[in-house]
Amino acid sequence: MASTVAPSAGLRLAAWAPLLAVAPTVVLLVVFFAWPVGGLLVNSLFDGGFNTAAYIRLVEAPVYRVALGNTLMIAGLVTALSIVMAYPLAYLMASTSRTMAQLLLFVVLLPFWTSALVRTTAWIVLLQRNGVVNDLLLGTGLVDQPVAFVYNLSGVLIGMTHVLMPFVVLPLYAAFRGFDRTLAQAAEGLGARPPSVFLRIVAPLTAPGVVAGGLIVFMNAIGYYITPALMGGPGQLMIAQLISYNIQENLDWAMAAALAIVLLATTLALFWVFQRFFGVDRLFGSSGLGSGGGGPIGGRHGGGRWALVVAGLAVGVFLIAPILVVFPMSLGKSPFLAFPPDEYSFRWFINFFETRKWLRALGNSLEVAVMAVTAATVLGTLAAIGLSRLGGRLRSVLESVVILPLIVPVIVLAVALYYAFAPLGLIGTTYGLALGHTLLALPFVVITVRAALKGFDPNLELAARGLGAAWPTIFRRIMLPAIWPGMAAGAVFAFIVSFDDVVVALFITNIRSRTLPKLMFEGIAHQIDPTIVAIAALLILVSLLVLLLNLVLTRSGRR
Amino acid sequence: MVHRLTLTVATAALLAATAGPAPASAQELVFSSWGGAYQDAIRQAWLEPFMDATGIEVLEDTGPETAKVRAMVETSTVSWDVVTGGGATLMRGVGLDLFEPITPEMVDQSHLYEGARSAWGVPSEIFSTVFAFNTETFPASGAQPQTWADFWDVETFPGQRSVYDRPQTVLEAALLADGVALDDLYAVLSTSEGQDRAFAKLAELKPHVSVWWRSGAQPVQALASGEAVMALGWNGRFQAGLDNDLPLQMVWDGAIAQVGFFMIVKGAPNQDAAVQFLNYVAQPEAQSRFHQFIKYGPTTPQAWAFIPESEWALLPSSPQNIERSVFLDIEWWAENDSALMERYAAFLQN
Repeated sequence: MASTVAPSAGLRLAAWAPLLAVAPTVVLLVVFFAWPVGGLLVNSLFDGGFNTAAYIRLVEAPVYRVALGNTLMIAGLVTALSIVMAYPLAYLMASTSRTMAQLLLFVVLLPFWTSALVRTTAWIVLLQRNGVVNDLLLGTGLVDQPVAFVYNLSGVLIGMTHVLMPFVVLPLYAAFRGFDRTLAQAAEGLGARPPSVFLRIVAPLTAPGVVAGGLIVFMNAIGYYITPALMGGPGQLMIAQLISYNIQENLDWAMAAALAIVLLATTLALFWVFQRFFGVDRLFGSSGLGSGGGGPIGGRHGGGRWALVVAGLAVGVFLIAPILVVFPMSLGKSPFLAFPPDEYSFRWFINFFETRKWLRALGNSLEVAVMAVTAATVLGTLAAIGLSRLGGRLRSVLESVVILPLIVPVIVLAVALYYAFAPLGLIGTTYGLALGHTLLALPFVVITVRAALKGFDPNLELAARGLGAAWPTIFRRIMLPAIWPGMAAGAVFAFIVSFDDVVVALFITNIRSRTLPKLMFEGIAHQIDPTIVAIAALLILVSLLVLLLNLVLTRSGRR
Repeated sequence: MVHRLTLTVATAALLAATAGPAPASAQELVFSSWGGAYQDAIRQAWLEPFMDATGIEVLEDTGPETAKVRAMVETSTVSWDVVTGGGATLMRGVGLDLFEPITPEMVDQSHLYEGARSAWGVPSEIFSTVFAFNTETFPASGAQPQTWADFWDVETFPGQRSVYDRPQTVLEAALLADGVALDDLYAVLSTSEGQDRAFAKLAELKPHVSVWWRSGAQPVQALASGEAVMALGWNGRFQAGLDNDLPLQMVWDGAIAQVGFFMIVKGAPNQDAAVQFLNYVAQPEAQSRFHQFIKYGPTTPQAWAFIPESEWALLPSSPQNIERSVFLDIEWWAENDSALMERYAAFLQN
């Protein structure tokens, strides 16, 4: 919207332009997020006077404190692991050839082509007592007792890091791409050793990307409950599980509201403390997700480089391992997923193509994702540009509003959206769901584009304006190329959020508009239908084909 | 009066069944359940025959979360007539006034099992929480576990266990393992000493539990993969394992019988059709059909006349199994679930 403001409108309008750019996102979030969610929480807590019972139980029953502690600890560990593992992989992606980088990008995004159910099932098949990994370890004599990888803390960390790490890898990859390669070389030339090159040059320059990604991972991890429930043990009970239990099963919405408010307050407090003491703004201040110099970085860095490459490849293997199991598993005959299967058959693939509901659900999923990605990318980019031009307190407040959908547990949003959508007739429609997903996806786009804008030099814009360029031209020729990687990462995240969502779909869709993940979770209390593994295998194959086609086309295009 | 009305409904159903093709202005009914094999079975056993018999068109939906039912009722956008749920769901919904009462005039439940009847829903099937063991670990040639006490006996039957991550049915099993008689179960569980006793018994087993399961498929998967050698779980899931040649055997002694219910949502748009459907489902003949599609038992003893005796061993409410079972007391759980869930979750943390 800001881009359509005519340059002749003069200074007065220019001052309003950032607000106009932020407005659609803020209005959307206030009308369909803050208002319904706030209403739900307040109503639940004030049902018949202020309901103190929930808070008293929260304090008195030890389980809630434990769960809050678990939640923060697990989210923190997952964030740290994601960052540590993302560095070598992102570096590898940025320093290798274009083809290899595309391949690695494909690997990074692979987990999202499988539903949470398939991913966790595949991990369990790999890691359980009689699983592939334990067989290998026992067979090579590395251990003499099976290692308990799943149904405990390590299970939760593995499962969650696997699916959340890409949120750091992409911004970090973009940061590495914008990295001036000569800096590291110069430092090395001047005799700096690898640790100090990393600390003094790589870390500060990639910080905005890491902070953006780490923030997304942490906020996301706090609200996770399906992966911890399936791959962890009871010792890893997280607060989102308790919120969802109180909303869906116990129907004690006062308790759920109390828990959600405590979680919200804790997260916001952490967010602000982090901002104050570690200076997110200062970190954001240096160059980040920009397009920068582009091109592969690095060169002859000697032994350190090889260690990095090996580490990067190891992380790639970690990402791909459960996906590799999916193919043989999908060909198993027994409905009890085993690896390797005892007997092979195509029955689950046949089931997918013969039962109309699966194809229809896939169609719904894609339709919703396209709408949500488009809306979130356009609105989120505008909002990020607007935010970057606002100053001081107003910006912090608006930034917090924009980030809210990340923190509020999805189940709370899902229920609140039902109440907001029902009078509008949006229940059961793909539009309603797409709107819900847009709300969920907006923070991702805003965060990644904001990080990219940090690397954008405002002097360029001033120069262009001084030379008489109109806003649309400035946006298209100067700003867009700079923030394009951030937008792309945001759009990918938006797609992931939409394509993987179960909870909002559960409340907003019906049998005709239901999406693939919703259908996959149907009957899950009773059984896992192996058709979902076949679908995961098909989606991976299709995306692999698209990648190969892309590689072939770009290659022939170059000739 | 009661009987006359029921008769009228039955006659109407009969007339509709014999009246030939359905009238053009067909009535509708929207039915929502949990999808998967369960809803497939309902469709084959009841929805399709009901459509044929009455001409009422049944539209299906899925995912009848009580939270969603609540949102529908509170926003006056009820689009479901009949929803399904277990005892806990039923009682929570009743507490929030989400379901229409089912009076004897609407559906006669007098011929159903006493422990299954409800004033707010029609019991559709009976399933059981039992335990199953791996028959390769404990083959028939040696000692095999027969009771909950054996499930707890890790000396005689060594190996990991898999147990539900909720207190429902687990506390019952713990007390049964500790020697409480079936008839005294809820009297003991109602006292705080009884609850302490159940948790103490559970603490004995805790070090030997490898998987605290959350979804019904997990205990079977745990047995199949060797993660556990004995698992507490739902008979229908173990049955699916048996049907796929998994080496396991169920133990019915001390089975905890649970009831699936069909409820009419408050303010449902097609209440007449819903009442007709619930009446249809409660008939002994219809009840005798469900087990052909999924191994759950009928809710009326009269249905056994239509079920071959060879099927009885694996059905929860069969004469031989029901007498060693206890019905889960859903009203007791409705009162105690929140507190016990908190205690159970805290117990599992340490």
